[in-house]
Parts: sequence; C-alpha cells; structure tokens
Amino acid sequence: MTPGDSEPLTDYSEDGVDLTLIRWMLSLSPAERLEVLQQHVDEIRNIQKLNAGR
Amino acid sequence: MPEGSFVAILRTLSGAGVDFIVVGGVAATLYGSPGQTFDVDMVHSQEPENISRLLGALQNLDAIYRIQPERRLRPSASHPASPEHQNFLTRYGPMDLLGTIGRGLSYSDLLSDSVIMKAAEDLTVRVIDLETLIAIKEELATEKDRAMLPILQRTLEERRKLGYTPQQ
Repeated sequence: MTPGDSEPLTDYSEDGVDLTLIRWMLSLSPAERLEVLQQHVDEIRNIQKLNAGR
Repeated sequence: MPEGSFVAILRTLSGAGVDFIVVGGVAATLYGSPGQTFDVDMVHSQEPENISRLLGALQNLDAIYRIQPERRLRPSASHPASPEHQNFLTRYGPMDLLGTIGRGLSYSDLLSDSVIMKAAEDLTVRVIDLETLIAIKEELATEKDRAMLPILQRTLEERRKLGYTPQQ
C-alpha cells in the first residue's frame, strides 16, 4: 500500500513488528533481498573478526 | 563485488543438478521478511541419484560437519539419506541439509507447497511457500520459531495487501 490509499499506514503492527522494514524489503526483488541479507551477514562477520579476542 | 556465500552455495547445488527446497531464514528473506540468518537451510530429495549428485556438490563445497570442525569430518552416502538434520560448514559458509522438516515432511511432501524464485539474476531455486513455512513454525513452536512468527505473519499480510504473487 502507498500513501494516499484509503487504509491508514502504520509503522508498527500491534505485536511490535516494524512494518516499514517489511515494506522496504518488499520494494526489492527476491534476489536483491538476498543481497541485503548477505551484506548484513558479511558486515556482522567483519565486526566479529575486528573484536575477536577482546 | 564477489558473489555472496548464500548464492554461491545455492549455485553450486543447482549447478550439480541437486533437487532441493530452500527453507528457513533464507526462504523468509526471499519473501521479504527482514530477519537475520547465517546459514542456508534446505530439504533435499532423498532419491539415490540425488544423493549421489548431492555428495558431489558437498565435495565441491568442501563441506565438513560443523559439530567438530577441527576433525574435518565429511559426509558419506548414508548421511544425507537420513531424515536427520546435517549441519555443515562449507567454503562459502554454514549450510544445513534437512532430511525432513516439521512433522516429518520430506522433499516430495513439500514439492506442491513450493515455488520457483530468482535467487540471483541468473539463478532460480525452489523455495518453500511462505504460508507453509509459517504453518511449520506454528506447529513446531520452539522458542526460536515463536520469535520469528510475528515477522513472518506480518510479511505475509503485507504481501497479500500488495497483491504479490508467490514469486515476487
């Protein structure tokens, strides 16, 4: 749904899920969504490596 | 930018002609769920020819069992033919082979509840459908599954509002 549609947009669902993140992910293609996940995982692994042994 | 490890694992299996269905966090991501996972989970066909192709792919992936990586234990034919979960570390990262999921659902059980999706511009893979993924997590209801459920359910709702097809 986009702004201007009849149903009002909400940022969070009643159970606390960030719907804006879901809508952003849905704006991407499935392959792009997988790239986003890959980038996050790579970044987390890099941070873990930088902090290894601390 | 080098190809990501998720896609590299899927591409290796697909290139070897392995029949499998992507499940778990990578499947959820392909549907637009903003969760996090570090491994690729898949249910594979346990037909003997497929097990043979799978073993070849595991060799190409340099797969060893994750439980004791220092021992570098490699799978033999009997292992992927088991209904149990097999957790591997590959040259591209962690990968889990699941003989069955939920209450004993196998590759052939799940085929009708899966769709073909693009995991990369030139790579298509079979993925469990989101409704079935949610139903299995509701049924299992482990702490991890329960934590993921609201995100998956809201993702499904948003997809329905937008009128998305299963492949989108």
